[in-house]
Amino acid sequence: MEYFIQQLINGLTLGGLYALIALGYTMVYGVIQLINFAHGEFFAAGGYVGVILLNYFAGLGFMHTHPILCLTGSFILTMIYCSFLAMAVEQVAYKPLRRQSRLAALLSALGMSIFLSNGLMLTQGVFDAPYPGELFEGGFEFGLISISYLQIMIVALTAVLLVVLNILVFKTRIGMAMRATAQDKVMSALVSISANRIIALTFAIGAGLAAAAGIMVGLYYGSVRYDMGFVPGIKAFAAAVLGGIGNITGAMLGGLIIGMVEVFMAGYISGQYKDVAAFVILISVLYFKPTGIMGENIDDTRV
Amino acid sequence: MRKKQLTMLVMGLMLVPFLMSTASAKTLKIGSMGPLTGPYAADGNDIKNGVLCAIDVINDEGGLPGYDKIELFPQDTACDPKQAVAAANKLINLEVTGVIGAYCSSSTIPASATLAEEDILMITPASTHQDVTDRGLPYMFRMCGRDDDQAPAAVKFMMEGLNAKTVFIVDDKTTYSQGLADGVRKNALLKGMTVKGHDHVNQGDKDFSAVLTKIKRARPDVFYMSLQNHASGSLMAIQAKRMGLKAKILSQDAMYHPNFVKVAKAAAEGIYVTYGYTDKSTPAYQAYAKRFNANYGEIGAYGTYAYDAAIAYFKAVKMAGSTDPAKVKAALLKLKYQGASKKVKFNKKGDSGSSYVAFVIEDGEYKLHWTPMDTHQQKEY
Repeated sequence: MEYFIQQLINGLTLGGLYALIALGYTMVYGVIQLINFAHGEFFAAGGYVGVILLNYFAGLGFMHTHPILCLTGSFILTMIYCSFLAMAVEQVAYKPLRRQSRLAALLSALGMSIFLSNGLMLTQGVFDAPYPGELFEGGFEFGLISISYLQIMIVALTAVLLVVLNILVFKTRIGMAMRATAQDKVMSALVSISANRIIALTFAIGAGLAAAAGIMVGLYYGSVRYDMGFVPGIKAFAAAVLGGIGNITGAMLGGLIIGMVEVFMAGYISGQYKDVAAFVILISVLYFKPTGIMGENIDDTRV
Repeated sequence: MRKKQLTMLVMGLMLVPFLMSTASAKTLKIGSMGPLTGPYAADGNDIKNGVLCAIDVINDEGGLPGYDKIELFPQDTACDPKQAVAAANKLINLEVTGVIGAYCSSSTIPASATLAEEDILMITPASTHQDVTDRGLPYMFRMCGRDDDQAPAAVKFMMEGLNAKTVFIVDDKTTYSQGLADGVRKNALLKGMTVKGHDHVNQGDKDFSAVLTKIKRARPDVFYMSLQNHASGSLMAIQAKRMGLKAKILSQDAMYHPNFVKVAKAAAEGIYVTYGYTDKSTPAYQAYAKRFNANYGEIGAYGTYAYDAAIAYFKAVKMAGSTDPAKVKAALLKLKYQGASKKVKFNKKGDSGSSYVAFVIEDGEYKLHWTPMDTHQQKEY
């Protein structure tokens, strides 16, 4: 039982991280029906900006005096930075192609992904960059079960971000505008909602969440590397599809399922089959329900 | 018709002086192979820098007789078998005469088969899998040790040095890591140890919490961590410490790298690694270290072997007076000198042997912790 609970906690942590990244895929798809393959790179960029900021604060000596403040500051600044990065990418790579075929934008997204990841490699080097995260080490022990502060932080912060996002999308005027744009760009333009602004905002929010996931991964795993966006990006994309791409609740659910499946596969059978298991689940769900778990059978997808 | 042929002949003859002039300014072209990008880039760059350092030393000594300069063509294998074969083909087209590389055994094995078709000599500084030299390729040499020496040494250390009776093994399914893990399991069972489990993870994984929880439940005396490279090793070490794993952690040569300690920090403390013994007090090592540190920074796991491999190749070319592979091979087999990493002497198979010892990480340094009872001596081949 203790073993099961420990694995459940492991799965929750991993699933939360996947969910945060998956949201960016699903939101962008919901609004402009584009699979933004460069999304994993926003996550990697977030990891790097986080380590740069934390090292800077540590250099100033603030890390030991105000650890929580430094961490919060790094999170906010990184999220803002990555939001602007995503909006810039959207302006340069996707906006000019909006009236072209979807394939053109998709290829542009792939190109952007390679460009950003190589940009990170050239500017930050090919080596693992260690995170200055020793201050946040430690945790609770209950017999065999150990929960680290970082795990609690990841799960809590993920939950908070998800709640905030839900309020933003379903309870505010901006959220209403986003949902309207997703349903019908022409009609929403007629009631003076600027599609360009809403699309930029969607990219910004998605990238902000990915950036938060990037810092958390850096803190939790101890280091970041330029190519760290690729594998989690693919997994998160699978999570978004599993949950029903375009659907926010679906992406959260998909992320948690993929994370849990991976951990339980590794914990009860063997670590070598965990990726296989995650994708087998994806394929079998899509076989019975091609729109994903929460996907709706209509042409108009929702944000 | 005949007139045309004559013109062709004259024009052809006019080209001869050009050919001769290039032949007199001779360049010795060698290649190096290793992952320069991707997760194992640090190790590939160590290898490249080791070879560059050797070229610096030879140039300082006045170069090789008969050659104006030595040119190195570093190739990126990305630790991918397909890319390694492509890199080998590229080196063949560049007409190199010798290759130092590659890093991953899974790259070296196919790349060496390609190079062997053109009789190009290859010395690997880092690939420890037994099949690298056991396939009987005529021009394959190895400067580092062999996994079937390392695995018994690791088991011996676990039993004698750590008094361990049980072990849990994890590898990441590469030719190198799985080969070594299988060797450790076989030897451990043979010597009467209990293997509490043998699990695998995937290359490129970041999250090891599930498998580490499994190890925690199994409560082995030793956790044998067999991974392709130090980047995944440091991730695993950090998570193992956080998980509160009580087992002692033993790993292998791939973790003998400054970046492992730099990333894992406190989590690296107390981890043991087996690695080929290098006597750092020899003048050969001292001179090399001074030189390398000045130009290329810290010495990684395989830079020293790459340096020795390149020096051995240059010595053999000098001795043979040509780059003809058969002559260079004969010269290599005659070599016997104190290199930077160890005493260099190749056996017929192309191996040069290594005596495996265990280090422990203390205060961020690799400290020699245990040597096999019988010897400090290098295993003779």
